[in-house]
Amino acid sequence: MKKPIVFTSEREMPPMAVSLADMGHNRTGGWRYLRPIYLEKIAPCKNACPVGNDIPRILSLVSEGRYEDAWRLFRETSPLPGVCGRVCYHPCESFCNRKNFDEALSIAAIERFVADACFELEDKIPERPKRSEKIAVVGSGPAGLACAYFLAKDGYAVTVFEAASQPGGMLRLGIPSYRLPRDVLDREIELIAHWGVEFRTNTTIGHDLSIERLWEQHDAVFIATGAHRGRALNIPGEEFALQGLEFLKAVNAGQAVSVGTRVLIIGGGNTAMDCARTALRLGAQPLVVYRRMREEMPAIAEEVEEAEHEGVQFEFLAAPVAIRRLNGKLEVECIRMRLGEPDASGRRRPIPIPGSEFVLRADSVLKAVGEEPDLSFLSEHLETSEGIVIERAHGVLERAGIFIGGDAQTGPSTVAQAIRSGKEAAQAIKSFLRGERPPKPHKLEEALRINFHYFTHAPRVSTPQLPISERITNFVETKRAISGAQARAEASRCFSCGVCNNCDNCWVFCPDAAITHTNGTYRIDYDFCKGCGVCAEECPRNVISLVEEEL
Amino acid sequence: MTPILTGTKKVVTGNHAVSYGVMLARAQVISAYPITPQTQVVELLSEFCANGTLRAKFIKVESEHSAMAALIGAASAGARTFTATSAHGLALMHEMLHWAAGARLPIVMANINRAMGPPWSVWTDQNDSLSQRDVGWMQVYCESNQEVLDTVIQAYKVAEKVFMPAMLVLDAFVLSHTAEPVEIPDQALVDQYLPPYQPIYKLDVNDPHSFGALAPPDVYMELRYKMHRAMEDALAEWARADEEYHELFGRRYGLIEPYRTDDADLILVTSGTVTSTAREVIDELRAEGRRVGLLKIRVFRPFPAQFVREAVANARKVAVIDRNISFGMGGIFAQEIKAALYNACDRPPIFGFVAGLGGRDITPHVITEIIEYAESHDDPEDLIWVGVKR
Repeated sequence: MKKPIVFTSEREMPPMAVSLADMGHNRTGGWRYLRPIYLEKIAPCKNACPVGNDIPRILSLVSEGRYEDAWRLFRETSPLPGVCGRVCYHPCESFCNRKNFDEALSIAAIERFVADACFELEDKIPERPKRSEKIAVVGSGPAGLACAYFLAKDGYAVTVFEAASQPGGMLRLGIPSYRLPRDVLDREIELIAHWGVEFRTNTTIGHDLSIERLWEQHDAVFIATGAHRGRALNIPGEEFALQGLEFLKAVNAGQAVSVGTRVLIIGGGNTAMDCARTALRLGAQPLVVYRRMREEMPAIAEEVEEAEHEGVQFEFLAAPVAIRRLNGKLEVECIRMRLGEPDASGRRRPIPIPGSEFVLRADSVLKAVGEEPDLSFLSEHLETSEGIVIERAHGVLERAGIFIGGDAQTGPSTVAQAIRSGKEAAQAIKSFLRGERPPKPHKLEEALRINFHYFTHAPRVSTPQLPISERITNFVETKRAISGAQARAEASRCFSCGVCNNCDNCWVFCPDAAITHTNGTYRIDYDFCKGCGVCAEECPRNVISLVEEEL
Repeated sequence: MTPILTGTKKVVTGNHAVSYGVMLARAQVISAYPITPQTQVVELLSEFCANGTLRAKFIKVESEHSAMAALIGAASAGARTFTATSAHGLALMHEMLHWAAGARLPIVMANINRAMGPPWSVWTDQNDSLSQRDVGWMQVYCESNQEVLDTVIQAYKVAEKVFMPAMLVLDAFVLSHTAEPVEIPDQALVDQYLPPYQPIYKLDVNDPHSFGALAPPDVYMELRYKMHRAMEDALAEWARADEEYHELFGRRYGLIEPYRTDDADLILVTSGTVTSTAREVIDELRAEGRRVGLLKIRVFRPFPAQFVREAVANARKVAVIDRNISFGMGGIFAQEIKAALYNACDRPPIFGFVAGLGGRDITPHVITEIIEYAESHDDPEDLIWVGVKR
């Protein structure tokens, strides 16, 4: 570093204010009252993902065409990317910062693309210490599968007990194959089995094996039996209506099911949509009867749209009050509803209009007004056994070694929520076995301050769909995969919110040249940083924060 | 693209005379924002840039402030730069005008004199340019389209010599939109007259310096002193540039132009296009045997005080026509001339006339009235409003 130049006369000076020596002696850092720091933040998509997929980093890999790396990163947080890429309600997209710029990213389409592209790949299973503890997982739906996967990855011996003949739970029994092809499910279960998870199918706990025996034989038990008991309509003639979920199970199991031509589906949830679209594929003319309006339907909006496109009809603001059989046909007496004030669910409460009864005729009626867990095998036991403490902790119902999660705990929810629940259960079980308190979830600040000026508008990729005419006669998957080029382009739309991707903007803009850049890491030289905040302002993705200097 | 034949005469407007001057000067970066009555200047330049007549970067910007900022960047990197504006556009540039001068960047700009609003006006007067009197830009007021073209080339010559920016000024419509025959000088001769710009320091990644940084009180004043010295040097440089121009192209204008002043009792002082009209009036009055003369102020900054003192030393009266007004004081040229003469031994009384604001015509009749008023009054008056309907 040169010494500062001292001018003794104007003749020695240049005509304009120009530095002639090193400015290193001028440690402008002393002026600073705000300190810029590199502080990565959680992207809203990742924050919204129940599974916690590291979406910005995954998308960055996809944009570079590194599909295998992206797939392996998915599998760090979820054993079911192929499933989720198809059936998840993708809350990540609802929170995507890009929706405030043009359109949210099609994250689900990318997840599905990555899973498809890596269909043949297998997890790299490292040498890891085998643990002696044995864990039983009851139920092989998404919660059970996730719990088993994360425990097995840690070296625990896990056995999954499944009442049905094949594992998968509601993914196999409930979700129709036009939404989730079975080879995708089979493959992802197969990969879980590669980690040493043992599947015992055709084994119903409480029937083939008691919960007490299971508990005796294992160090921990995770109950993830789902919510399979369909709710009742509680109206006269209820016995003429089939449970929608039972109908789906039968069709999904490949049984020949006859529902006739006119099928009424009572309810507005995802089960109702699956029933309607399945009935349609069996040649029926389904009519969905729902007591509120379309906006209030609990089903995923996309499913309602698809049902409508395929030709499912809707009768809104109507509720059945009685079912009668007449000459081999069914007569469903309905009453017209109007919407009142919002109820506890936030949706407007349906109120019957007296005297507005009308009759709908049908060949069969499917009821899909919700499911609930059937924990009879458990609650009896819990009541009779001594020394079993139940407490709710860390998102799972926990007693000494028995944990509960998924829909069995919460009632019907989503696949992603079930995976999260299974994952949390795995963590709770590990902590229990090690005699530790489960780690507290780490709260991160969301990256919301995106500098839109650095981005150019680009339309969201649209997922190709089978034409309606090619869908409604079969159970072929309706959505098709986007191409590799589309996936890379779509992933390139990602702002990488809160995650530094070495764009160099801070380094370029720093007016004090106080930011250095080596091997992808930026460093701020606080001897010179004046705290002007230009780096934080120009960071396109909210990675740099300004904190007040302590004076 | 039709090649432009240089060394020929063309009938062009004042605005296009500016454009041809810039083309011949081989400006390298042009940045501008359109404003009436300046638009045609940069319109034609943008065409020159687009069709390859002029190998320059044309930067579109969202304001005059940005136009000047862009040129400051380009000039700092060693480019020869140009912009043009008018009235409110010039006012919006104000901060950057200080910056260009303080950074000693020889940017050349054409300002088409337009009256400031409100009330809205698009017609000529000098308040826009004279409001920028103290920013450190040289100012040259032009009388004809030929002078406009020649002044562009001379301005680069002087600006790049003394490292101060230069503004040439021409009247809205009276010059800007009026066509006159103009000789387009030969490019090779212009190249000979105006070699490429050689900055002392420039933005260069291989020779990094920090520019325009903080100057504490122990050095700031010296830098201001040097700016003033550069302006003083510029007086001689204008004279030298004008002389060299005359040698190559046969035309010169002077910093001031005395016309029939040698034995004049009364000297009329003008700037801009009023001068051409006044010259006719002087000739007519001279034909009647009246001892009147004319002094055109061409270079206003740096102010050629000594030249003015000498030019009016023998006159009995001076009458200054100002197409501008400093509210609460009077015409600005009159003030400048008074200030220049105050410490002189022989100083004639000065009459200050304000006329032609907002584009009102200054006709031969108006000029005659002004002369007769000054001739018939003995006591000088600081501010005489000409033609105000009262």
